Amino acid sequence: MSDASTTEIPPELIKVAEEKDIPLDLIRRALALGFPPDAIRQQMSMPGVTAEAAEKLIAEQEKIRSGGEITIPEEVLTLAREKNWPEELLKRALKLGAPTAMLIQQMNAGITAEQASGFIDQQEALRGGGDGAPQLDLSWMKVPTEWGMRVIPGKKGLTVNMLNVGTYADIPDIWPYHTEMPRGAHPIPGLPAMGYTIYEKAELWSENAGDLYEEAIQRRWRPSTDIPWESMEDLPDAVEKAVCQLCTHISERALVAGDIVGGWLPEMSYGYHEVKLYLSVAEFDVARWFEVFRKRALSNGGGLGIQAPGYFHRTLIDARAWTEASAALHILSSSQLMMLFQIGHYTAHNEAERKIFSYCIEDVARQRAYGSQHLKYFLTKHSERRGEISHLLNKYEVMLEYEWNADEPLRGALMILLGGGASEEQIAEGASKLEYFRKRWANDYVDQLAAAGLGERREKVHRSIKHYISEPEEAAAAAA
Amino acid sequence: MAQQVKTKATFPSVKWFEAVKKIINNDDGYKRFGTCDASVGIKVPEASKYFVITFEAFEVGDVKETDERAAEDTDFWIEQTYDQWQEMITNIADNGKADLGHTLNTLDVEYPDGLARSNDGYRRDLFYRFNQSFQHFFDATSQIETKFAK
Repeated sequence: MSDASTTEIPPELIKVAEEKDIPLDLIRRALALGFPPDAIRQQMSMPGVTAEAAEKLIAEQEKIRSGGEITIPEEVLTLAREKNWPEELLKRALKLGAPTAMLIQQMNAGITAEQASGFIDQQEALRGGGDGAPQLDLSWMKVPTEWGMRVIPGKKGLTVNMLNVGTYADIPDIWPYHTEMPRGAHPIPGLPAMGYTIYEKAELWSENAGDLYEEAIQRRWRPSTDIPWESMEDLPDAVEKAVCQLCTHISERALVAGDIVGGWLPEMSYGYHEVKLYLSVAEFDVARWFEVFRKRALSNGGGLGIQAPGYFHRTLIDARAWTEASAALHILSSSQLMMLFQIGHYTAHNEAERKIFSYCIEDVARQRAYGSQHLKYFLTKHSERRGEISHLLNKYEVMLEYEWNADEPLRGALMILLGGGASEEQIAEGASKLEYFRKRWANDYVDQLAAAGLGERREKVHRSIKHYISEPEEAAAAAA
Repeated sequence: MAQQVKTKATFPSVKWFEAVKKIINNDDGYKRFGTCDASVGIKVPEASKYFVITFEAFEVGDVKETDERAAEDTDFWIEQTYDQWQEMITNIADNGKADLGHTLNTLDVEYPDGLARSNDGYRRDLFYRFNQSFQHFFDATSQIETKFAK
């Protein structure tokens, strides 16, 4: 109990006390007893409260706090017996400062002893220690996790991977917890599962995921202000339409990529947060592609073009495992997207387009980096499934090529962009350049697969892709 | 207004790359792109000149002259003929930065074997992942008064 003579009274309490003619010294004594100002104000505001009644209540409380006997008025005790309120409950209520009149009112209102006890528990917890501080159960501080960690930032700041020290660096092959508990925390037994389905590291892991997350966060960009939109000028009608068709196509692919990654993220358990972090940012990347290409299409006199046939998209959505989806999306599809971005950059008509495609090239390269290194990890752990992955890639390559052949608007737009216009000569030149880019893409794709550990795909890719692959002798001659 | 005094250096030489490194390591604009980690070979075969530049976190680290094999024992190497190097550097000097026809990305797709080459598709992708940092590096050569050896 603090010294009442030095206790300061909040101005709002002084105001109520003066209205009720209650001496300020009584207020100081109530505050010194640990009664919250709000509770004192409520008590004083009740009808019929007098200075004498307040004096009696506070004197009783001071007696109780100094170890004196708690006296239960006879009329309260009689009613309590009738209403089945134990004597101990009344003493706890009186110790908390409950006025006699209020206790009688509560019992007559039908409040049960159990309900009253619950309320009194709360009040005691809030007033615990006698100085207003709640009593806390601090046993959680003895949690058996590794303690005393002091990770020091390095040249790149404090990165996600740097936190993998001591037991926090344990990334098990199988994650045993089915809840949202972060890796390294201590589990509460019996909590319901969250419904994840991927618990094996090999099914999602990529050694570069933590780095890719940091990279994606640092290299984020804002289409609204990082693109010099003012640099755009009117283009010939056919060229503008071709740019807009390319923008429409990429916007659509961005939406599908978002749906696929977004659909798989809730399946992944939290033992491998580096992957979940990176894929969350990759989701953001594709949302930004959708945004920026829509902005480009609608800001230079054009508009959106025609939808893609979508055969490949529908095949991707039907993937039955994340590794399958990732290989098709992040290696096959992203390699073709890289080609589209490169064509966009190569044919850029202004600084705005150049910047858009430069940023996108960085974004898609990160996605390929995840895809190839995840597949590599998966194959290292499941070499027996090489044939299965190869079989699945056959299916996706067929569908991608089928989509390519069916999507005449896209191919036409690319030819116009590469040829510089829609005249017969320009389209012929564009077609020739498109073949050049297709050859680059095909070789780039098999290089990515080789980096993922599937070098044999060079010989096995779909025939319409293999047609473009440089023979080893040709490649060696070119390098010489 | 004081006239800016440009560093004079001959391309290709360690001194020339060191001059670029000095500019970049004092350039907050470069740091804003984010960290960049890659070992990059530079090949000027006709001049039999080979270099390795190490990009590390927010700055450029080592620059050293090497042999061809060491230049290829990197994440990727950038290879052009002497004339192509000269044209790119001159274009950057004339425009303050590469014009649309002379960016690293454009040159990469124009050369049948690419501007950035590697023996590993994953490591070559660092050229694309950090592309704007590398472009900024070469754009900074506009602040050097370059003398060509040939």
